Order: sequence, then C-alpha cells, then structure tokens
Amino acid sequence: MKTSLFIIIVLVSGAFAGLVHGTVNFAIVEPYLEQAIGIENQNLFASGEEEDTPEFWVEYEGYRTWQKSGQILAGVILGVSVGSLFGIVFALSRNALPGNNDIKKSLLLAGIMWFTLYIIPFLKYPANPPTVGEGETVILRSILYLSFIAISGFGAIGFYQLSKRLKNNKKVVALLGYGIFISAVFFAMPENPDKITAPMTLVNEFRLMSALGVTSFWASIGIILGLFWRKVFPQQETTHYS
Amino acid sequence: MSETRQINVSKSQVPKLAIIALGIIFAAGLFVVGFDQGHVFSLVYGEQAFTDLYIHELTHDMRHAAGFPCH
Ligand SMILES: [Zn+2]
Repeated sequence: MKTSLFIIIVLVSGAFAGLVHGTVNFAIVEPYLEQAIGIENQNLFASGEEEDTPEFWVEYEGYRTWQKSGQILAGVILGVSVGSLFGIVFALSRNALPGNNDIKKSLLLAGIMWFTLYIIPFLKYPANPPTVGEGETVILRSILYLSFIAISGFGAIGFYQLSKRLKNNKKVVALLGYGIFISAVFFAMPENPDKITAPMTLVNEFRLMSALGVTSFWASIGIILGLFWRKVFPQQETTHYS
Repeated sequence: MSETRQINVSKSQVPKLAIIALGIIFAAGLFVVGFDQGHVFSLVYGEQAFTDLYIHELTHDMRHAAGFPCH
C-alpha cells in the first residue's frame, strides 16, 4: 500500500462526506438553529442582558452569517477529521471485515462506527440546540460526551478482540458482552447537568434532524471510501496475503 | 522463500507513517470543530482573540448540529 495514496483517498473521502454532512445540515438543521437562537435573543432582551436595538441586530446578523456559512466549511473540517479515524480503522480491519468487496466492507464498518461512536453516545447525551446549554458546564459536558464516545469505541474493539478468541458460534457472546458493558456504562455515567429550557418539540425535532445529518455523513464516508479503495487498491480485492 | 513472504507481508501492512499522520489530523480537526473554547477569551479580549472568535463562529452551527456540547 502506498502511504501517500492511502492518505490522499482517506482525506478526500472525508472531505466529500463532510461536504454532504454540512450541506444536509444547512438544509435541515439550520431552520431549528435559527428558531432556537431567536428564543435565546428574546431571553437576552427579557433579562436585560441585551437591548433590542438596531445595533444589536447589525452585530447579530454579522456573526450569524459567519455561523451559517461556516456550517459547510466546518462540515468539511470535521469530515476530514472523523474520516481520518475511519480510514485508520478501515485499513487496519479491512481483512477482518466480512463482505466480498470494499464497498460492502467499508459500509459495514461505517455502520458499526455510526452505532458505537454516535448513536449510543447520542442516546445518553443527545444534541442540544442553542439556548439549552449553560456556559459554565460546557467543559464538563465535553468531557462526559467525549469519554462516553471513547469508552464505547474502545469497548467495541475490546469485545471484538475477545470474539476472535471464541469459536464461531460463540461470537454472539462478545456482542452480548458489549451490550451489557455499554448498558452498565450508560447508567453509570452522570446525566447532562443542564436543564432544557427550550420548548421540547423544538428540541426533539432539532435532535432528529441533527441525527439525520450525522447519519448522512457516515453513509457517505462508507460509500465514498469504499469506492476510492476499490479504484486505488484493486489488487487487494480478492488477494489474501498470508 | 522467506524473502518473498516478507515482501507480501509488508505490502499488506498499513503504513505506520500514514496512521500517525491521520491520527494527528483526526485529533486536530476534532478539537477545532468540537472543543475549541477560544470564543470564551474572545468575549473578554475582543479583537485580540479575533482569530479564535472567527474559528468558533465558523464551527458553531456544526458543533450544535453534530451533537457536540456548546452553549
Ligand atoms: Zn452554541
């Protein structure tokens, strides 16, 4: 495998998948962000922290434009970043993944990572729109979220390693083991300390759209990296090195 | 015989350098989008932290949408 080629296809796949993610968010998540920030502004006026003046709105429009257009660029940066992790895991696990072609393998791995690194942590610490979080707890929330993702990811790797030592029909034991392990962690981890102050319908709809956005990323990275891999490293398609 | 085998093995191995490079890109990108708190300073120092503010505003909406804790 050529180092430079490998890095390039991983980065390009990540950038494309991130572009998809950013664009999807721009279309479906942005309206909810707008709504939430609208509520936040009203709260600022009500509490007297800000005044409802033309100057406020000029400044507000100024940074909102950046925030909105940044969504796409940030999507590409995040895509390249998470795509790099995906590329590493794919390269290391490709031979072990079931499936007779790279696209199936890559999609399957994307599904596993989507589930362990996103869905499970999301169930415990779901995404919140602006106005929900407390500024003071952001570091604590970041630590909790990141730790849970890491525990889930490393847990999945651990139980996978365990499953390799078990005979074929016992593989389900490892899967069950992960289920029990992650459930225990799920209940042991502290809750998000912030109270939800925004209307629950808004929060729920925002969460659904946000989850669809992230899902579009994992689906895209699975397909795109699989396609590139097949094109760039075709000799690996059926060959098994000893 | 053993020589051929060695070539085959190294061919199928994933280059370590690539793993390290991608690992660094992963960590750096995740920090910028998900966890950079430069905006906290920008509120205090204003224009001096303009670059930080700029990064935060640019990644702000994605941070919420991707499920990272924000404000
Ligand atoms: Zn925010």
